[in-house]
Amino acid sequence: MNTIGIVFTAEFTRRIRSRAFLAGTVIGAAGILVLTLLPMLLGGMTSSASKKVVLVGDPTLTAQASKALARDFEVASTLPRLDQTPTAAFLDAHGKAAAVAVLTARPGGLHVTVYARDPSQFRESFGRDLATVQIGLALGVPAARVEASSKVPVDVHDVSGRFADAAAADAAKGVAYFFVILLYLAILLNAQAILTSVAEEKTNRIAELLVATLDPARLLAAKILASAATSFIQLGAWIATGIVVGRVAAAVLTHGGAATGGEPSLLGTVDVSSGEILAFLAFFALGFAQYGVLYAAAASLVNRTEDLGSVAGPLVIPVVIAFVLATIAMQVPNDPKIVVCSLIPLISPFVMFARVAVTNVPAWQLVVSLVLNAGGAVLLAWASGKIYRVGLLLYGRPPSLRQVIATLRA
Amino acid sequence: MGTLVLSNIARSFGDVVAVRDVSFTVAPGTTFGLLGPNGAGKTTMMRMILGILIPDRGVVSWDGAAVTLPVRRRFGYLPEERGLYGKLKVRDQISYFGRLHGVPAPEATKRADAWIERLGLGEYANRPCGELSKGNQQKVQIACAALHEPELLILDEPFSGLDPVNAETLHGVLRTLRDAGTTLILSSHQMWQIEDLCESFCVISGGMVRASGTLAELRAAWPTRIVEVEPVASQLRGVLDAMPGARRLPEADRPVLAYEIPADADTAALLRRLVAAGDVTRFERVDPSLHDIYLRAIGAAAA
Repeated sequence: MNTIGIVFTAEFTRRIRSRAFLAGTVIGAAGILVLTLLPMLLGGMTSSASKKVVLVGDPTLTAQASKALARDFEVASTLPRLDQTPTAAFLDAHGKAAAVAVLTARPGGLHVTVYARDPSQFRESFGRDLATVQIGLALGVPAARVEASSKVPVDVHDVSGRFADAAAADAAKGVAYFFVILLYLAILLNAQAILTSVAEEKTNRIAELLVATLDPARLLAAKILASAATSFIQLGAWIATGIVVGRVAAAVLTHGGAATGGEPSLLGTVDVSSGEILAFLAFFALGFAQYGVLYAAAASLVNRTEDLGSVAGPLVIPVVIAFVLATIAMQVPNDPKIVVCSLIPLISPFVMFARVAVTNVPAWQLVVSLVLNAGGAVLLAWASGKIYRVGLLLYGRPPSLRQVIATLRA
Repeated sequence: MGTLVLSNIARSFGDVVAVRDVSFTVAPGTTFGLLGPNGAGKTTMMRMILGILIPDRGVVSWDGAAVTLPVRRRFGYLPEERGLYGKLKVRDQISYFGRLHGVPAPEATKRADAWIERLGLGEYANRPCGELSKGNQQKVQIACAALHEPELLILDEPFSGLDPVNAETLHGVLRTLRDAGTTLILSSHQMWQIEDLCESFCVISGGMVRASGTLAELRAAWPTRIVEVEPVASQLRGVLDAMPGARRLPEADRPVLAYEIPADADTAALLRRLVAAGDVTRFERVDPSLHDIYLRAIGAAAA
């Protein structure tokens, strides 16, 4: 086995067996579990707690309103009139309803008075849902007819021919968003792993022994590969947890008749094409390599693990900027400024992937982006390798920016 | 086995000159002592031999050729500050460093077990290195450095912080390696710890060589000798005071006449004159110790 393989195996084994890795993986999976289930659970709570209403008024009117409100509410009961102003006890007595709506037909149209536990919730949704009843009263036609006439079929077609309909385009944005978050998480996780590993070897003076035996570039490559492998495993465990929990929860909610719980989670419905996966892998690898060498070089400059934050902090900024630009790219993927961003190393792994997911990127732009990113990765590896080699043996006061630049020129 | 040659090596760090112009040769299979005070440039020189640092000027060669990475993998290194993975078990640690030097995995494990046995680390073999005492960590470190049976083993302050028992264990290991033909380079502040191990020495200070050679050569180059005469008698003192170039030294804790005389002085003639002047119960010419030579060389550097 060559030295890269030996260092990779040792580094990977050490990391995968560490308590920090196991704890991080389990806690992360638990976090995914909570994040996946929470919307459904909260959705269920919302439905049961705030969607039941009691309608009061003329039976003909409440019958029409019941149909119109079915989109957003569950009508617990209807009453011809109120004997007194409703109280919380009254709502509890009527199926723990969230509100009572008193409907009155006036010459000017429908008037609704709502007595609610949470007054902030009902104005917009009632107004929207009961608009058909209002129009029906004004025109003297049944609300059901107004409802039927108000639906205008609209077909949206993608001029590039990529997406069959609007739903497919929306789904693509969801996929892009999902993978951009994955890339973001993977880079930050990997950064932490590399920072810790390099700083440990420097502060424990192991680096001196390693550099005496190994080419620092090979050492750096092995470390980045090992931390990438562990990050992938951790990420894989989290994604698998999200998918399994999302699908199981969605199935349980559907079969249990609790469809009011809302949509299955994003992770449970991801549908990814092989092209997108290839693009993700290509840009992921390039982004990963670029940030990996940068973080390793930064970690080699610190003398105490406590100082890692001060050198790592500034390197988080381009990751955050790239993430924000990627979310913008999902909305305006062909804006000239976004196109330029999708060619710039460090940023383009995020932005270009987002573009690939939501639009047809011209082949030349993909090629240019890949070439620039590969070149950028090589340049960063070269510069970081120089800093890493010198930084590993630099003890005492941290080097100034001038010294770092001098090292690069040497 | 190769010969290590350093020719006019120089290295600076910014404005600080660590090594100015150092040249020396280490013969194959010999043990070489690198002596000097803190900041003399010993570690920098060792790092340049190992290729960790690149000299600004000069050449390091092994067996007549440049020290490349494959050559460096045949070297071993024990740094002054111990470099061990705290959470890695002793056996795995030793085996890992052996593998980095090209020893196949099964053989590395076998040799690691042999070193663990040899150094009395059996009960710690499966414990993380971070849990070991400093002395035991030092033993692990020497096993890491020597497992691949290096042609050249460089040890930077190997006795630093060791208790007498562990120091003797390390002494034994180094003697065994020397007898097996390994070329050794040791640095130390403690002359007595390496005097009997090394065949030749180099004293450096301020990044320059101040003295070098075998102990016999260093003594031969010493400009003065010390003579000790008993009893303390005025007639004998008169003879010594009259000798050209002689300098009286402070008396030690027992009564003795101690004088520093030129190295080329005729001690036989001096003895004859002393005997003629009075009763002489003891006359001894004392050779300078390595410690004396070191202090003089360092003193010269300071001057």
